[in-house]
Amino acid sequence: MLKKIGLEKRETLASALMEKGELFAPAADGAVVNFRRIDNPGDVTLDFYNTLQSPKSVFFPQTDDMVRYRLTHEGVETEEVPLDFEPRIILGVRPCDVRSFEVMDRLFAGGGIVDPYWEKRRKSATVIGYAFDEVNPADFYTTFGIDAADPTGSDIFMVKGKAAFLLKGITEKGDKLLDSLQGLEDASAQDEKYFEGRLTEASKLTTRILATEGVVEKLEEVFEDPYWTTAAAPCLNCGVCTFVCPTCHCFDVQDETLFGRGARRRIWDSCMFTDFTLHTSGHNPRTNRSQRLRQRINHKFSYYVTNFDVFSCVGCGRCVRSCPVHIDIVAVVEGAMALP
Amino acid sequence: MEFEPKILGIACNWCTYTGADLAGTTRIQYPHNIRVARVMCSSRINPSFIFRAFELGADGVLVGGCHPGDCHYSTGNYYARRKLAVTKKILEFAGLEPERFRVEWISASEGIRYADIVKEFTEEIRALGPQTRLAVKRGVGA
Amino acid sequence: MKQIDARLREEAKRLLEAGEVEVVLAYGKGYDDRHPMPYAAKTPADTERIVFNEYCTHNMARYLMDYSPGTRIAIAVKGCDSRAVVVLIQEEKIRREDLVILGIPAAGMKDPRTDRVIDASTTSATPNPVLYDILLGGEATTSETSSYDVLGELEGMNGEERWAFWSEEMSRCIRCYACRKACPMCYCDPCFVDQAEPRWADKSPSLESNLMFHLTRFYHLAGRCIDCGECSRACPMEIPLYLFHKKVAKECEEMFGQAAGMSVEDKPVMVDFRVEDADEILL
Repeated sequence: MLKKIGLEKRETLASALMEKGELFAPAADGAVVNFRRIDNPGDVTLDFYNTLQSPKSVFFPQTDDMVRYRLTHEGVETEEVPLDFEPRIILGVRPCDVRSFEVMDRLFAGGGIVDPYWEKRRKSATVIGYAFDEVNPADFYTTFGIDAADPTGSDIFMVKGKAAFLLKGITEKGDKLLDSLQGLEDASAQDEKYFEGRLTEASKLTTRILATEGVVEKLEEVFEDPYWTTAAAPCLNCGVCTFVCPTCHCFDVQDETLFGRGARRRIWDSCMFTDFTLHTSGHNPRTNRSQRLRQRINHKFSYYVTNFDVFSCVGCGRCVRSCPVHIDIVAVVEGAMALP
Repeated sequence: MEFEPKILGIACNWCTYTGADLAGTTRIQYPHNIRVARVMCSSRINPSFIFRAFELGADGVLVGGCHPGDCHYSTGNYYARRKLAVTKKILEFAGLEPERFRVEWISASEGIRYADIVKEFTEEIRALGPQTRLAVKRGVGA
Repeated sequence: MKQIDARLREEAKRLLEAGEVEVVLAYGKGYDDRHPMPYAAKTPADTERIVFNEYCTHNMARYLMDYSPGTRIAIAVKGCDSRAVVVLIQEEKIRREDLVILGIPAAGMKDPRTDRVIDASTTSATPNPVLYDILLGGEATTSETSSYDVLGELEGMNGEERWAFWSEEMSRCIRCYACRKACPMCYCDPCFVDQAEPRWADKSPSLESNLMFHLTRFYHLAGRCIDCGECSRACPMEIPLYLFHKKVAKECEEMFGQAAGMSVEDKPVMVDFRVEDADEILL
């Protein structure tokens, strides 16, 4: 089914969604736009190209308490953090980010040991995808077969029309939610045509393409090449790329205690940090920047493919836009591919 | 229940700490709110101690050292003067009430003065109330 | 700008051809004109990739610590960048005789994020290099406003208002450490925040941990920060760190009579003292 709501009624849409569960949507965060839990429907913004950070934090928050504890004279009292999640809705997810959820699903819930923290949040969520209207030069998601208005993976897919947002139920879950929302109008046959038209048009909106044919083999071949030193020379090893990336998922587990109360929590880590691979013995297998950059590229374009049959990259372009020294991941991979 | 400030005192061994000792042996009464940590010299103080103290919930921090010119190590307190001045400016700019952090030069013979300063400082902090800005919010699973 | 662009390439090539230096730290082409990258040219052929335009905001002094002592390095520096080089020399991290400093009087530099001209409100008011061997362009006019004027608003607020401002900004910090890595003066290995004993700050980005990191970092840079603003340009969350650094720099200048990185003979203010320092600074 297709529903619509006027562009100026963004707050009504947000309120309607908040009736059905916890709403996570893009909102102003100082000077930038980021996904967060919405308490005030007026905070939601649908006027952005893409958020600074990816929506992965909805399923994989930066800090995730697993066990809470109290240190007493008798010992340690622990309390497992419950994993029941209220239904949640994520509004405004661009197609490349929707794909990133599936990429991460393979790791966190794809078989073998399932990560309950990820899986339960995923199961409790309804994803409302949001079509791109334009392309940013940093993006390269077309490389991975992602369309600018690709509804695959979304439960509901939204397009911004000239006067209204059009929302279409894609899955059963999405249809059910859409049906239950207050304040939306039924779309007309004309609207249906417009919607389908937009989806077709969007396939003409392509980003630049990174040639990935044979990349796994090539990266293996050039592992020891001095190319990596040149490529990593400007890199600050700051960690911004990993923190804005939708598919980076490395984490640390820390016990953080204060005044006898604390929590064992999972926290985002970054392969860019100098102490990322530091062992307790004091040995660090990756001591320089070229090793760390090489690792990141290999993880995304080689190892992940070998393990999970898919690239750990969706071409969203965030790392390119946010890198303080303007490193272009496409150029780095292309540089490696071009080596003799 | 009346608010009892938690005050961290950092006293240099040769002057202020000895002065505090003198206040004690002379049986001069002063409020118990101050918890004193001894350092060998005021220049040993890492400004991170001060930030951390406020983060951990200290309502006030009082640093005591030798009078400039009388440092047991000759020049330690000259460096400390600069460090602590910068620390004070940082705390003030961050928005912490500047009265909460105080530096005094108290010599080994100034037992009475030590007690007077502690009395005055404690009442000032009591009037300001609990420090809630930099302090970590307790009871939220840490 | 175009003149400087050409001269920079020229000088870099000449220095490498003559074997006077082993590496030239300058700027190179990025994925488009608005995004040049830090670039280290090692051969005369490499110098073809060198560019200079108004978006070359990076402080190349950041990369000086990558090279072992004794390596002969040519470095392209703008005004505040040169002050960073001075600080590193003062702190004996690099030797003056190992460097060939290519000074660039920078006027009209722009922030690639916003395309706005970078003025003294977000960087230092020293567009002309304070230390150089070769000057690549004509002197730039110094700004009329002081680099501390922008502090007016915050200084005019009371403690509560300032706290509201900083606690809001610091809650947004995601502890990516881009600020630390972009800064030429943050060369400590390990950095205090990475230490587990003592654990100064938790790893998770709670407000208190963030404050512990930032307040300590503001202190660690007292008398050393040369106000280039790179930390703030690197910050993905666009937190105005430069405001706090400027305040600390202003206080140090007022209290101790010296600005950071102006002369190689100076001693950094925090490792120095004067018997006449006034007790009033503690009030």
